[in-house]
Amino acid sequence: MSIIEMKAITKDYHFGETVVPALRGVDLSIDKGEFIAIWGPSGSGKTTLLNLIGAIDEPSSGQLFFEGQEVVKLSDNKQTELRSRHIGFVFQGFNLIPVLSALENVMLPLQINGTLHFKAKEKALARIKEVGLSNIANHIPAKMSGGQQQRVAIARALVTDPSLVIADEPTANLDTETSHKIIRLMRALNEKEKITFVFSTHDHRLLKQVKRLVQLEDGMVKEDGGKR
Amino acid sequence: MIQWMRIALRNILKNRRRSIVTLISISLGFAAVSLFQGYTDNVYEGLRISAIRGEGLGHLIIYKKGWLEKGKTKPDQYMFSQEEIEKAIELTQKDDHVILSTPQIHVSGLVSNGRTSTIFLAKGVVAHDDKVIKGDMAEFWPVKGNVLNQKHHYGVEMAEGLAKYLGMKPGSDGVVMATTLDGQMNALDIQVEGVYDTGAEATNDKYMRFLLPFAQSLYDTEKADQLVVLLDDWKETQQIRTRLLSMLSAAGLNCEIKTWNELSLFYRQVKNLFDMIFLFIYIIVLIIVVMSVANTMGTAILERTREIGTLRALGMKRRSVNLLFSLEGAMLGFLGSILGIILNTAAWSIIRAIKPTYIPPGVSTPVTLIVNLVPHFMFSLMVSLIFLSLLAAILPARLAARQNVVEALGHV
Repeated sequence: MSIIEMKAITKDYHFGETVVPALRGVDLSIDKGEFIAIWGPSGSGKTTLLNLIGAIDEPSSGQLFFEGQEVVKLSDNKQTELRSRHIGFVFQGFNLIPVLSALENVMLPLQINGTLHFKAKEKALARIKEVGLSNIANHIPAKMSGGQQQRVAIARALVTDPSLVIADEPTANLDTETSHKIIRLMRALNEKEKITFVFSTHDHRLLKQVKRLVQLEDGMVKEDGGKR
Repeated sequence: MIQWMRIALRNILKNRRRSIVTLISISLGFAAVSLFQGYTDNVYEGLRISAIRGEGLGHLIIYKKGWLEKGKTKPDQYMFSQEEIEKAIELTQKDDHVILSTPQIHVSGLVSNGRTSTIFLAKGVVAHDDKVIKGDMAEFWPVKGNVLNQKHHYGVEMAEGLAKYLGMKPGSDGVVMATTLDGQMNALDIQVEGVYDTGAEATNDKYMRFLLPFAQSLYDTEKADQLVVLLDDWKETQQIRTRLLSMLSAAGLNCEIKTWNELSLFYRQVKNLFDMIFLFIYIIVLIIVVMSVANTMGTAILERTREIGTLRALGMKRRSVNLLFSLEGAMLGFLGSILGIILNTAAWSIIRAIKPTYIPPGVSTPVTLIVNLVPHFMFSLMVSLIFLSLLAAILPARLAARQNVVEALGHV
């Protein structure tokens, strides 16, 4: 069953009177439990596509469905609730809240959706353990390495038990060895918990670990590797 | 809510330098307003006691209806007769809050030492009642010599300036002259019992105090022009005025009653002046607080645009982003106020220890600067500064909440 259904999606950016097309008619279907990499050169539209899938941006035209719901027709509050309950985000720059510890960062999405403190703490600790960071749960981001920060970000993305995790170039700021570890971690979680992972990268070395590759070029799907 | 407060507090602590500058602005403003309020509170208290006890206005003064308007031209017609005085005293003393009610008469004329004459204004009082009205104030404005004594019918208390002008001192003899209510000239011998400082330059060269029967005999009357009522609690003044008025009216006494603050022109003038200065300082402080908090929050929001984008992506609704930043503003107001209370208390302690003195306008002797601690005012000031800080943060917070998530995430 599709978790994401995109039909003839376009996205234009307006800079004054100049219109820059970022996506030009993308059709894409993503099933539950898939592990997909969106790849392509810089400017190919990877981030734009992920923003649309993550319901933090809206297409200029076309239809986008999340579990059968047309995202554009939802109010801002409903879209926010959708993200809060069903989508996890991993950012290229980690985007941890600097004043919060690793544990508090992981608890944050649960607190946003109103989970009780003790329950949020319990779940966050379990996720932190899962990504192997129990020993630094009380460290603030400034005291962690890039790889550790990204693992905290992954724990944060997973803590609400989302059906979809979006990771925009999650390894771009990491060294090769850490990048492989992060992708392996994501893959393991995908296989263990059947969470759908969609991530973008332009690092060819990581693509071997991915089940399905979608290649973007000039805002269009050049090649969809389908399910492996 | 607690976790959002924790985030707000940590962000305040994180940007230490900026937060400290804002907190200093708020706390200095708080302390300035609060100290001034403490000073005026003490001045108002002093002026109130001075008016009620020192000036001898009591809390309420009862006049016969029409006295205030026409009493100067037809005094005989608008004075209380002996019978009316007794009736009014009996009625007013039925109220539990009334300590005493006493008749008085104002007289004026010429006073002479045999060689020099000058005008005088005097009040005829019941010696014992006058002592009760003065209470502890008698110690602040002591009479040099003897006080009025019911046994010394011709004994008078004379203001220092007047005594100096006439070269009189306790024990000196003189003469007072005035026109009786019937229009006849009358002159009576006096003996200065004591000399006192009225506390104001304008009255120190004119005032005298007589015994009531002596003042009445100078005007050749048994009447009195007012009844001074002393209460046990000044806060009850308005309610008791209403109560007494209806009680006297029901008994057929057509009266009008003035309160001490209505009659004390000096109190009202000083209060109006201080209230105006206070308002001016208060508005300046409020503007400083609003500008500081708005500036701090505006900068914080600009710096934390990516954080806002992240929070929105993680599922935080706009109103929660708004709440988060507004809380931060309110917390600045709260912490600034706490710091302000500490500053205010420190300044208050220093002033109490040093006891600086100053000479206020119209007063002839130095006065110790006293600043009161007014907890209820500090609490309401704190609430208003927190509320204002919250308001000052709301606009930048709304702008933060309205940001496009993708643009916010891409902010560098």
